[in-house]
Amino acid sequence: MNTPAIEVRQLVHRYGRAEALQGLDLTVEPGQCYGFFGRNGAGKTTTIKCLLNLLRPHSGSVRVFGMDPRTREAEVKTRLAYVPDFVAFYPWMSVREALDYQASFRGHWNRDVEGSLLRQFQLDPAAPTSGLSKGQRTQLALIGAIAAEPELLVLDEPTSGLDPLVRREFIQTVIGAYQDAAPGKRTVFVSTHLITEFEGLIDRFTVLDQGKAVLTADADEARAKFRRLRARFEGDAPAESEFKAAKSVKRDGRSVELIVNGNGDELMAQLRAMKPTEVTTESLTLEEIFMATVR
Amino acid sequence: MFVQLNFRSGVPVYLQVAQQVKAAAASGALRPGDALPSVRALAEELRINRNTAAKAYAELESEGVLELRQGSGCFLKANGASPLRRAVRSERLGAELDAVIVQAHHLQIGDDDLRALLDERLADFRGRQRQRGQS
Repeated sequence: MNTPAIEVRQLVHRYGRAEALQGLDLTVEPGQCYGFFGRNGAGKTTTIKCLLNLLRPHSGSVRVFGMDPRTREAEVKTRLAYVPDFVAFYPWMSVREALDYQASFRGHWNRDVEGSLLRQFQLDPAAPTSGLSKGQRTQLALIGAIAAEPELLVLDEPTSGLDPLVRREFIQTVIGAYQDAAPGKRTVFVSTHLITEFEGLIDRFTVLDQGKAVLTADADEARAKFRRLRARFEGDAPAESEFKAAKSVKRDGRSVELIVNGNGDELMAQLRAMKPTEVTTESLTLEEIFMATVR
Repeated sequence: MFVQLNFRSGVPVYLQVAQQVKAAAASGALRPGDALPSVRALAEELRINRNTAAKAYAELESEGVLELRQGSGCFLKANGASPLRRAVRSERLGAELDAVIVQAHHLQIGDDDLRALLDERLADFRGRQRQRGQS
């Protein structure tokens, strides 16, 4: 087995008396595109800060490439790149200078990758960073992260606050460019509450709620397990209490809608036995799975 | 590209891609020797992960549907060149048919209707194949 890119065990962190992380477990295998889903305040950024040694957890362990970021911070940081949700550049620098400045901290820099992404995003190297829009700032930060070709790319809410039409496109471009070389070694860890953008990109994910992992699954496996069953009846639909095995039940006059997790076949059989006039089933999207999982 | 993903189908994404390429090859929409997009281009177009696109192609390659030529890309192979033994092929198809039978049971479609439906779809499929052959 490979050493996981990220391994977090029983992580606890408090701000004063508020428990931000309450025993989080997380394992990210190398080469995966891993989604870290949670509402604002669920503990996503706190977790990332622990990975980068920006925060010291109260208890539990954190390993990045098998190393403790508290004692081997420099080694950890040379092997990853981090793009925070709010990116700032020195305002007197141009796009070119900002990239050169970042490159000066890195042992490795891929000029081809940098150049092709600058062209794709139509960023003018001579433009001052002070004049960039929020989207362009994020693009620039992502180019800087990817040109260094790290083994791990940590993205914290990379698309929030951006134009919905643009963000989907460029996150795809960036992750595609990053994973194009050395597949199997390039790991993406993306924290977000805007899950729809990442539907097809995510291999595996964890849903974080109130500082705990409430669901960890492969995206395909989760979509196969979480389903919505709908049935219509000639008369009144059966009472909600008939479907105790469902994750949730919504009843409305002659129809009933169940959300199921893994036991869809049994509940489907139960519904059919009640002689409905129509039954349909579909898988939930990752966003809907997220909504069904958090309180 | 002709691939349409449906995240609500519950079918793994790489399998959806593989199945649709096979369907296109079987119907003649894709022909032997046709080039397929690179893994990266496919991933970008379908907005999927590179790993998923690579897994779909690996599946198709192992089934002898396409071949990856180092450096020049990915091409559809001539049909009839399946590297799988007949027994393995029958077993794979058998599993798919089982799923159809289960589905038919749930939809309360009787055996005769199911057979009739299979004949109908086969005729339809052969018709489309012939049409493409003439054009």
